[in-house]
Amino acid sequence: MGEFRFKSEVWTSEYTGIKANTIHAFLKALRHVHEDVIYYHLYRNIFEFHYLPLDYANSFAYWMAENGYYVLAEKLSVIDPLQYTSLEDIRHDIIRILEDSGEDLDVLCSKPFYFIRAVRMAVDLNIVAKDLESFVNGLKKIGWHSLFYHLVTARLKLGKPINDFSLWFESIGEIELAREIEKVNLWAHTLREVKGQLISIVERKLYAH
Amino acid sequence: MLIEQYATYIGEGNIEEIKAVAEPLKGLKVLHVNSTRLGGGVSEILYRLIPLMRDLGIDAEWQVIKGDEEFFKVTKKIHNLLHMPGHDKLTSEDIITYMRTTHANLSYIDTSPYDIVFIHDPQPMGLIVNKRQGQKWIWRCHIDISTPDEETWKFIEMFVNAYDAIVFHIAEFAKEGVKIPKFIIAPSIDPFHDKNVELDRNFITSTLEKFGIDPKRPIVLQVSRFDRLKDPFGVLQAFKMVKRACDCQLVLAGGYASDDPEGEEVYNEVMEEASKMKDVFVLNLPPDSHYEINALQRAATVVVQKSIREGFGLVVTEAMWKEKPVVGGNVGGIRRQIVNGFTGYLVNSIEGTAYRIRQLLINSEMAKVMGRNAKERVRHTFLITRQLKDYLVLINYLINSDHIQR
Repeated sequence: MGEFRFKSEVWTSEYTGIKANTIHAFLKALRHVHEDVIYYHLYRNIFEFHYLPLDYANSFAYWMAENGYYVLAEKLSVIDPLQYTSLEDIRHDIIRILEDSGEDLDVLCSKPFYFIRAVRMAVDLNIVAKDLESFVNGLKKIGWHSLFYHLVTARLKLGKPINDFSLWFESIGEIELAREIEKVNLWAHTLREVKGQLISIVERKLYAH
Repeated sequence: MLIEQYATYIGEGNIEEIKAVAEPLKGLKVLHVNSTRLGGGVSEILYRLIPLMRDLGIDAEWQVIKGDEEFFKVTKKIHNLLHMPGHDKLTSEDIITYMRTTHANLSYIDTSPYDIVFIHDPQPMGLIVNKRQGQKWIWRCHIDISTPDEETWKFIEMFVNAYDAIVFHIAEFAKEGVKIPKFIIAPSIDPFHDKNVELDRNFITSTLEKFGIDPKRPIVLQVSRFDRLKDPFGVLQAFKMVKRACDCQLVLAGGYASDDPEGEEVYNEVMEEASKMKDVFVLNLPPDSHYEINALQRAATVVVQKSIREGFGLVVTEAMWKEKPVVGGNVGGIRRQIVNGFTGYLVNSIEGTAYRIRQLLINSEMAKVMGRNAKERVRHTFLITRQLKDYLVLINYLINSDHIQR
């Protein structure tokens, strides 16, 4: 049975100094910015839980709405980072949506967009699980960043459309558990709540054994 | 360990993560410099941040520059002119005063033993001239300098460019064209500060009774110093509109410094206006009335922060931590704290303020849910442990930055 190493990834925010006042300028910047800029603007909302007003799912969409581009705001909101395994694919899809929008891209926006980059730092927590019992003990010891890393960011690291926990459960033959964990909705709950849900899912299985 | 006390609020797992981020920084010498040990948001945070850093094995210290009244008059002027152009100008005498005091502080504050130096706000920023090779200097700018007086900026810029990084509260506060790395780290509150600790129900009630406020009727509260930019007159007008539909009380709690003639003028005007109205309480409290403010916030039904212009406005977060829905002006850092429709409302007018206060007073269940959401948001994003984590990541990044391809 392979072991599971609990890791974490923390970050802070760096303003790139790039500010866009038109969709055209936004697009131009989007083509070239570091992929951690896309990570920041698309993923932070899931981490922060309702960092932005609820009507839109990410800061790109929110900016569009603030400037009256409601259709574009909706189209960008439907992008679900959890369905992606590459930030470049997200970048590509956003660019396509904007290029196909039919909007006049040179209209001056009343509110500018500030491109911010996530400065990410990986951390090993030195917590290892070898079975369900040690896994649930490990789960109890980790924080929100670690949870986010394994449930969300790991998809990008591994290039697989599944969270890290479920991947490990599959590897040890706990297929049902893997499915249950993947079903936990990150958009509907805070990470504090998600952690509680995961613990009870694994404990239920553990005590049923 | 001190850091472990915070597990009560954020859980042990998050404490372990902070320890892991601090691990590579053990033994590092970090200095924070500001201009006062007492009063103001910066010293409040440093008071707790330094022991927390030390607790994590970082050799952190805090030093305060010295200056006479003349120096602080000049730095106040610099502060105002960096915030926005005004009638005032920075004179050559002001520059001489600033440089003379900075020079005196260079011999008083020895920055050479430190690996990392945080300089808070413009007052001590001239100390950068003593930067030695291998050190990383960070300017923690707590104000909005996006549209400064250009002459003042030119003076400050010669210091700024020598720093390794600037930290702003929000990206909108950054001055365009600054070439050094610009980080965005929001300020935070300490749940163990007197302003935020849990209070006994009897103390809350007796505080209300002390001021003649009825504990049984809904309370609308704004906590802010008496300043036109906090729009106390707008709050009074909004309250008049609310009062037509709801039986409630308004509390405007704050203060003004003895050397602030404008504050006194605003206070007197507010008092005069309030005297014409029923159920309005204007409380001019001493600056150390932390428990009283805490009690008022906990007793409030709806908290208002109707600022016209705002730096960050952490008083919003303080109320959110006490599970209060906040109706706040759609400006500055308030926009970053309130999630519209989820933890409270962002408003753009007196009418909007009245409408949202009324909505929250009428829908008490909705107000409760928003209050709970507000507390969770603060727990996640605006506690001192998050700010500490941000600083630790920043330091890690800077000490490794020479090897990073950017």
